[in-house]
Amino acid sequence: MSRKEIEYEKSIHGSVFLRLMKYAIPYLPMMVLAFILVLALTGLELLRPALIGRAVDLFTMDGTMDDIKFTAIIYGVALLLSFVFNFLQTWILQLTGQNIIYNIRQELFEHIHKLSLRFFDITPVGKIVTRVTNDVEALHEMYANILVKLLKNIVKIIGLAIVMLSMNVRIALFGFSLLPFIVALTWIFKRTSRLTYRITRTRITAINTYLSEHLSGMKLIQIFAREKEKNAEFKQKSKGLFRANYREMMVFAIFRPLMYILSIIALVIIVAVGGDSVIKGAVTVGTLYTFIQYISSFFEPIQELAEQFGTLQSAMASAEKIFTLLDEPITVKNPEHPTLVEEIKGRIEFDHVWFAYEGENWILKDVSFVIEPGQSVAFVGATGAGKSSILNLIGRYYDIQKGRILVDGIDIKELKKEDLRKAIGQVQQDVFIFTGDVMSNIRLKSDNITEDEAIQAARYVNADHFIENLSNTYYEAVTERGATFSAGQRQLLSFARTLAYNPSILVMDEATANIDTETEQLIQEALEKLMQGRTTIMVAHRLSTIQHADKIIVMHKGELREMGTHQELLENNGIYKKLYELQLAGEH
Amino acid sequence: MIGKYIKRYKWSYLLGIITLFVVDLLGLLIPEYTGRITDGLKYKTMDFQGVLHMIGLILAVGGLMALGRFLWRIFIFGGARKIEYALRNDMFEHLTTLSTRYFNENKTGDFMAHFTSDLSAIRMALGPAVVTTFDAIIMTVMVVVKMVFYVDLRLTLLACIPMIFIMIGGIYFGSKVEKRFTKKQEAFSKMTDEVQESISGVRVVKAFVQEEKEIESFAGTNLNNKKANLSVVKLQATVLPLLDLLIGISSVITILYGGKLVLDGAITPGKFVAFNSYIGMLVWPMIAAGDSINMLSQGLASMKRIRKIFMEQPEIIDGPECDNEITELYGEIALNNLTFAYKEGSSPVLQDISVKIPQGNTLAILGRTGSGKTTIANLLLRLYDVEDGMITFDKNSIRKIPLSVLREQIAYVPQDNFLFSDTIQTNIAFGVRKLRDIEEEEKMKLFPSRKERLEAHLESDFMKTESKADSIYQDLDMVQEAAKAACIHENIMDFPRQYSTMVGERGVTVSGGQKQRSSIARALMKDAPILILDDALSAVDTNTEEQILRNLKENRKNKTTIIIAHRISTIQNADNILVLEEGKVAEYGSHEQLMKEQGIYAQLYEKQQLEKQLEKE
Repeated sequence: MSRKEIEYEKSIHGSVFLRLMKYAIPYLPMMVLAFILVLALTGLELLRPALIGRAVDLFTMDGTMDDIKFTAIIYGVALLLSFVFNFLQTWILQLTGQNIIYNIRQELFEHIHKLSLRFFDITPVGKIVTRVTNDVEALHEMYANILVKLLKNIVKIIGLAIVMLSMNVRIALFGFSLLPFIVALTWIFKRTSRLTYRITRTRITAINTYLSEHLSGMKLIQIFAREKEKNAEFKQKSKGLFRANYREMMVFAIFRPLMYILSIIALVIIVAVGGDSVIKGAVTVGTLYTFIQYISSFFEPIQELAEQFGTLQSAMASAEKIFTLLDEPITVKNPEHPTLVEEIKGRIEFDHVWFAYEGENWILKDVSFVIEPGQSVAFVGATGAGKSSILNLIGRYYDIQKGRILVDGIDIKELKKEDLRKAIGQVQQDVFIFTGDVMSNIRLKSDNITEDEAIQAARYVNADHFIENLSNTYYEAVTERGATFSAGQRQLLSFARTLAYNPSILVMDEATANIDTETEQLIQEALEKLMQGRTTIMVAHRLSTIQHADKIIVMHKGELREMGTHQELLENNGIYKKLYELQLAGEH
Repeated sequence: MIGKYIKRYKWSYLLGIITLFVVDLLGLLIPEYTGRITDGLKYKTMDFQGVLHMIGLILAVGGLMALGRFLWRIFIFGGARKIEYALRNDMFEHLTTLSTRYFNENKTGDFMAHFTSDLSAIRMALGPAVVTTFDAIIMTVMVVVKMVFYVDLRLTLLACIPMIFIMIGGIYFGSKVEKRFTKKQEAFSKMTDEVQESISGVRVVKAFVQEEKEIESFAGTNLNNKKANLSVVKLQATVLPLLDLLIGISSVITILYGGKLVLDGAITPGKFVAFNSYIGMLVWPMIAAGDSINMLSQGLASMKRIRKIFMEQPEIIDGPECDNEITELYGEIALNNLTFAYKEGSSPVLQDISVKIPQGNTLAILGRTGSGKTTIANLLLRLYDVEDGMITFDKNSIRKIPLSVLREQIAYVPQDNFLFSDTIQTNIAFGVRKLRDIEEEEKMKLFPSRKERLEAHLESDFMKTESKADSIYQDLDMVQEAAKAACIHENIMDFPRQYSTMVGERGVTVSGGQKQRSSIARALMKDAPILILDDALSAVDTNTEEQILRNLKENRKNKTTIIIAHRISTIQNADNILVLEEGKVAEYGSHEQLMKEQGIYAQLYEKQQLEKQLEKE
């Protein structure tokens, strides 16, 4: 880390707090009300001892039982008011805190879904989940408690200081002589606790990532009989967290008693200076007694303040992480003035496209081709040739560096991402199954697709056969990642899902790979019907599945090497011919 | 259940409580000393020397108290942290023993919540709650004793009536808080789940333009979480002010009855004042009692949930019939009338399957989706139990073979090619990494280095892929051998960091084919007598497939191999081919035999031949 970065880091600390405050603005009236209530409560707290004092006065001034009853009634009223204020203040603050938390969480979740695929490629799921759940949770205490109490304590400290100074400047100043130490200690505490807290948070995130991954991969661990090794690995990670937690606890265990010692020293100073003054007759014993009472209540809010700063710091640490995520730039943006299209017909053109995930590591080099509406095109080539990337680029999941991609003659950067992607049906390599039932996995969360349509789609891709065999058919509950389905069944489900959305462009990435030949045959039939009037782009390794394509494009190391029909390419005597011959040889 | 953990740290707790007690006792001394100073000054019985003497005492007591406060934190909070640590480890260890069935039925998000929220609630109950409980008890006893002996018994009894309500209220609210807290935890865990799934499935979400719907649905979960939180808050907002109210009522009683006593001359005004300050001193212990009731009940709720995990018995274990003398397998496998259903009573997935695989043979399994191919692999790996004798290895029933031996001796390539977020090298060496190496490596990461401290200080880039201490402990040559056999070596060498390349969570940065081949390399690395490939060449192009099959033939000489596949090209060279149809054996024999049978296999073969013919045209 360079010096510049450190300074940059410093300058954003203040802005983190300001940004946090922005979320509180809509609730400012409520927070002010809560603050007033807290002040009123403090007033009532002070009133109650005074009432007792009044009762004592009554005894010395020959008061009657009626006077005492009257005092008791006032006390009772103060009590009830305290109760109501206290309840209201807690409720208002907690409600406000919860509302703000809700808003931040929602904003964060929305932002995450706007980020490009690149972000998800390189960020572990566990980390993102921790941001949305635990880190946001850590902010709650700040909004619900700390802010208002911080104000209250500051008011209390200033008030007490003024009272003490007005009573006796000399004793008061001696009493305050410890303030620099208190501030210094608090500052050291703040720094240390923040550091330890951050290490803890980092380790919590690490252990959560580890857990989420290893719990979903438990089957593999057991199959490879790695339980012992993984236990040892987890234990070490767990120990790392334990040490961080322990260190955090130590910081508090050392700081709190140190603070206490400081308050004792302050008391001793007051007693010594005050006692001396009393002996010399400069002040009365009563004044000294009051000072002793005040100095202890003077320290209370300062200690609380330090702790509240601590909580504030940890909230800030979480907030920084949240804001870092919120500041994650949305790289694939919708255009400001998108070109609106009624219907996408499906003409696709790549115009000298260059693409890299990172820097100059080109995945696609100067690729150009045109696909007419309704045409079916198959991409062929070895793994890593860039076929999958082309499919991802059509839906604009990544932005290209050079060249243009056009759909119906319009640069896809001019289109709304939603319009573009709605027109594209994607069958992905990894079929992701959501928790829910079969039906909800076909319809997803869309209301536009009726159950009948979903069932029809399932029938169309011959998925109904296995679905009907489930005990609850379309309403069979599905667990996380569809663990109970075979790869083929999951694949079929994903076909149904794609079909239900009735796209005008069909994109398939090795989609038929996991389906047995018989089923593949059925799907081929369904696909042929489906491909009518739709532009179809697929990546597959089996020549049998692509030979019917109108056009075959051969990719090699990111470059477009050959293009044409099956026959043309065979005659061309190039890479395709080689691939084809190898395929033939492989089947002997 | 938690008892055994507390027992482990009983001395720590005992010392902590004693220290707490001493600190409370010492706490009473300081007001006494200041009182003596004021009295001495008032009646001029104390000179400055005397004042200094008292100051020395105050400093000594204060120093002792500070030390005590430090110590009980270490004893009690430290103990709670240690228990949390032990629980976390034991829970993970227990989970590793539970069966696949259990993981299929439960969600990862739920487990995560147990590891985070529940453990932390338990720790709160074992740490801060213990402190507040004992502190409250000690303080209450000391104050009540003073009230009775110094002031008046009847006044004490009357003033303590509201305290009884505090106890009753505490129990009532405690159970209510527990219930609502459970709901709150559930809401949080549901939210965690939803986020987890929404992020894991982000590719689907984007492809189907479901972002809006996801956000809408999350808003519901988010709201639900807020409501669950507020329902707990509502109780908490009531409980504390109510506590204050009840204690205030004590004061009112004191004013009325105490005032009467003073007027009657039964007690002095001084005692009246003292009594009032005693009531004041009861406030903190009562609030602490409320706090500890909350913490304890929340801890209890969490404990119940965690106990449920610990009560879950591992289904697949080494039973009494297990023979520990078996330390390796030779590779002879037999399925004898194998019948199996995933759930009792449901229709069987496999029915009456009998196959013998001699040592060193290759068996191919063919069949359409759902015909039970993967189930056979699952059963051979004993992820589920079958009736005794249905599966034998080297003529020993599967249950006779220690589980660890069984799985050590079988190398498996699963359908879904799960890779861990780690380097490619570590992933390939997954099955053979030594315990010692892992410990060494992790130890290096245990203490925060200067770098980590600095990072913690400057941390802003959580996206940075961590570069781990390069795994110097693994034999890179062996890893490369396996990678070459799986035809992934060249791809890996093309990566900028080669074998040290990190693959993302579930290996997202590598393509499906690369993942699959890494997974094959991982299995080959084990060099086990039995290898099972479960549809493991599906995402590999024919060229590479051919190469891998050739490598296998060479590598797996005299070793048993089971290949599950769809493509004839993958399996036709197997010694025997098993064709499954709805869980039953449809055909069985060598390629030539099956071709003669003119059944499903022959049809499939002809179909694929036909395709070839078409291609020739």
